[in-house]
Amino acid sequence: MKATENTFKGSTKAAGEALIILLFSALVGISWNHTLLLKAWKGEATGPAAGTTPAVATAAAEDPMPLGLEQAKELFNAGDTLFIDARDRGAFASGHLKGAVSLPLADAKQRGKIALPPRVTPKTTVITYCNGFSCHDSMELGKILLKAGYTTVYVYEGGFPEWRDAGYPVEKGGA
Amino acid sequence: MSGVKRYLPVVVRVALGAVFVYAGVTKIADPVGFAGSIAAYQVLPYFPSYLVAAVLPWVELFSGLLILSGYRVKAGALVIGALNLIFIAALASAAVRGLDIDCGCFKEGGAKVSPLLALLRDLVFLAMTAVVLTTGEKAPPEPGGSAGHPCDCTETSGNQM
Repeated sequence: MKATENTFKGSTKAAGEALIILLFSALVGISWNHTLLLKAWKGEATGPAAGTTPAVATAAAEDPMPLGLEQAKELFNAGDTLFIDARDRGAFASGHLKGAVSLPLADAKQRGKIALPPRVTPKTTVITYCNGFSCHDSMELGKILLKAGYTTVYVYEGGFPEWRDAGYPVEKGGA
Repeated sequence: MSGVKRYLPVVVRVALGAVFVYAGVTKIADPVGFAGSIAAYQVLPYFPSYLVAAVLPWVELFSGLLILSGYRVKAGALVIGALNLIFIAALASAAVRGLDIDCGCFKEGGAKVSPLLALLRDLVFLAMTAVVLTTGEKAPPEPGGSAGHPCDCTETSGNQM
């Protein structure tokens, strides 16, 4: 009887301590990442309701900010965003996000020059993507674009597979 | 045989702790990447993905450190057990929806771990957590009656590639 009581007491104590671990971790995690969280929060506030670009990508950013599927779709719907496919031309031809242009990472690296349509200015919001989270070419390309002076660069990390699987507009051919 | 019985719980505890410390540290180093991994599950909206990415690695690190060090093992194991249940639910939902994503569990250096494989791995971790919870934080008794720590616990790596 006493043993059961002790076990119960022990479990309650452990559960209380577990709660303390969670609260302490939350405190440390939020403090450690407060700048990032603030940026993400602002991005949310200016996102879908205002129909504008999330404020998370700034000219000063060293790395392009990643976007989730829904944010990418919102910007796609807004229409004034250019999606850039970082995969090779063969992959692009066999299927890509509707309206995307092809700029394989290898090309961007080799030429040292960004060949994008003339309507694209450094102020245009550009979103790079490739083959999903296993592929880092879109992040690499995003960095190159930032260095080249493009100020609003995002990386859609879910890439073509996630977009296609969500049933969003895709097209074939072209380059 | 009795040696296995005596040391197995300690080995399991240290290994599980090391795995979670490793998982926490790699994600603390790249919260943005981890937020992307969370977003890929298409469960959480934009900001909550970042909030979880900011907090969860620290939960993994602290609970991992506790069970690794042998201090407040039960509490640490409870947290790790709860985390594993959440991970398993998220991975199962990703697998059911047929999402072609990386699990985001560790920084796998480019190698992609499918939700199904990660789910199986988490089931192993859950079983290890059960062992830790049932054996508790007491070191197994030494044959000579000493209550000393039976393991110097240095190189049990949890690195998962």
